[in-house]
Amino acid sequence: MTDTVEVASPPTTPKAGKRDVWIVFFIAPAFYTAFGVIFFALTRTMPPPRPDITTAQMVDFFVNHETTIQIGFGLLILIIGGAGIANGIVMYHMKRMSTGSVLAYSYMGGMAVGALPGCLLVAICFLTATFRPGRDPELMAFLYDLGLLSYVGSLGCFSVAYFAFAIAILYDRNEIFPKWLAYISVWQIVTEILAVPVFVSKAGPFAWNGSIAFWMGTVIFGIWLSCVIVFLKKATELEPVDSPPLD
Amino acid sequence: MPGDVHMWVMVLGDLAIFGAYFIIYMIYRTMAPQEFLAAQQHLNVTVGVVNTVVLLTSSWFIARSVLAARAGDPERAVRLTYLGGAFGVAFIGIKGYEWSHAIAGGYTMPSSDFFMFYYMLTGVHVFHVALGLLILGIVVRELRNPRKRRTSMVESGATYWHMVDLLWIVIFGLLYVMR
Amino acid sequence: MQILAEAEDLPKAANIKTQLISLWTVPVFGAIYVIAFVAFPGFLPPMSPNLSADQVAAFYQEHTAAIRFSMVTYDLLGVMLIPFFMVIVVQMKRMPTQSHVFAYCYLTAAVSGATVFALANIFYLVAAFRPERNPELTMLLNDMAWITFIAPVGMIVGQNLLLGLAVYFDRGPNPVFPRWVGHFSVATALAMAPAALASIVKTGPLAWDGLLSFWLRNGAYAAFLIVMFFVVRGALQRQAVEEGVAA
Repeated sequence: MTDTVEVASPPTTPKAGKRDVWIVFFIAPAFYTAFGVIFFALTRTMPPPRPDITTAQMVDFFVNHETTIQIGFGLLILIIGGAGIANGIVMYHMKRMSTGSVLAYSYMGGMAVGALPGCLLVAICFLTATFRPGRDPELMAFLYDLGLLSYVGSLGCFSVAYFAFAIAILYDRNEIFPKWLAYISVWQIVTEILAVPVFVSKAGPFAWNGSIAFWMGTVIFGIWLSCVIVFLKKATELEPVDSPPLD
Repeated sequence: MPGDVHMWVMVLGDLAIFGAYFIIYMIYRTMAPQEFLAAQQHLNVTVGVVNTVVLLTSSWFIARSVLAARAGDPERAVRLTYLGGAFGVAFIGIKGYEWSHAIAGGYTMPSSDFFMFYYMLTGVHVFHVALGLLILGIVVRELRNPRKRRTSMVESGATYWHMVDLLWIVIFGLLYVMR
Repeated sequence: MQILAEAEDLPKAANIKTQLISLWTVPVFGAIYVIAFVAFPGFLPPMSPNLSADQVAAFYQEHTAAIRFSMVTYDLLGVMLIPFFMVIVVQMKRMPTQSHVFAYCYLTAAVSGATVFALANIFYLVAAFRPERNPELTMLLNDMAWITFIAPVGMIVGQNLLLGLAVYFDRGPNPVFPRWVGHFSVATALAMAPAALASIVKTGPLAWDGLLSFWLRNGAYAAFLIVMFFVVRGALQRQAVEEGVAA
């Protein structure tokens, strides 16, 4: 009888995460990359053009950037489903927390509200402005204001989502996301508060293109979004393949 | 390191964000020193000093509550936290009085760049104080519950509260004192 | 509600706690909504749809600060009712003798209703941003703001009819909500429905400043929120006891 020494085979990591969740996950960073290209490079909405210019200069903005605005926002309205999907996967992982569904639904609700006045309205306004060259300049200026104020100034919808996200993470025992991500979400709410003056200021740090109301908000949003995407990936990896579907 | 890592991420990040606000304030002040100086005359330094003393006192109570928690005396820690919170509430009340006084005097957000900064900086600071009161409330609730008492929780709350105090001192210095 | 010591760390307790937080957004933010409502110079009494463009422009020029304060408050905090509606969704999902279809329809209706409110809010703010704008354009924005605020009651009507249906379908021995809540929801929906005509009618009780479209519509909505706060609180209490989370 030969003595066989059992050598334990190294533990194999099971194929991590569920395939359908992975498909949805990858749409999130893909969408936001396209979003970045659209808003920064093509439509010139980030950073936004200034509020303190004349009507004639506002018309010039639309005339000078007509083509890229149309390409950029035309593309956005086609791929905007990606926003819904990105919000959906966050909501999916929030539902895996021990805190129940109410905050996941609140996150979804807040983000869904934000999609109209906080994202699509500027696309619609700018596409309308570039649709008919030679429109009355005052009407172009109207579309300029409506688009940019709504884009930078839609505050509460996103605040609700960040609020729900932060509380859910803090109360969660399943450790879906790290606790400090909740605090970064609180910073996001702070940036919404700091954007309140865009409805008053036409120049300076608190205007809709200002260093505080716009730039700092955008930088912190970039940090938040990057962290969320990283941790969505982790959460997707760590979800056991055989866990039952959520209610 | 006292408290938990997550709170330190919050505190250091918050300090960085406020630091950026302060730098931007300084830049705008440097660009128009006369206007800022003129506007600053309308701020009541005495009220600012009172607010500073109130917040420092509250921090002192909170620091002592941490010592009490570490010494294993949760009841005393709770009492001290209440006292710290009460002074926090007083801070908000005084701030509200100060704002209504300024608004009544015609110094509103659009009055000048300085006043826009004043309302926004003190406003977002008050938001942090309110958040701090919420955190202190959670600290009290957990201290009261023998199953949930953790020194780290009390320390985390204190870390946040001291940050709020530190931010105020800088705001006080920039807006009220530096002339 | 006193959470029992043994249940504290259970997911069930976290579910109750997050619902409680979401519930309490009603009184906390409701008080602020009342302040913002009173502060808006065009609600008490409501602005007439029959003002001329110059009168509307004068309104925005004379009351710019108050308009901005009130509407910025609604911008930042108006969507904070979403978590409360999501608690109702979660409670509807607890009703055992029905599928969850009403709950999900309620969810989408609530989110869409909030979107409409957020849009109206932006119109007021854009009008107040440049009060020196051409009065015809200020009046255009004011019209859009009022019509969007008062008239699209369909989502709220839908929500309330769905809640009524859900309550009527809840035939278990321990209904989540008492039966009169069904009648109350339907009554609220009916009370708010006529306001849709504010988009067409300019005088009388159906105009946007009229008894039915302004006072009844908003009064019924406020009454619904106040009453449902207590109703949902009771339901949460019962849920906590049923699940062994509270005594």
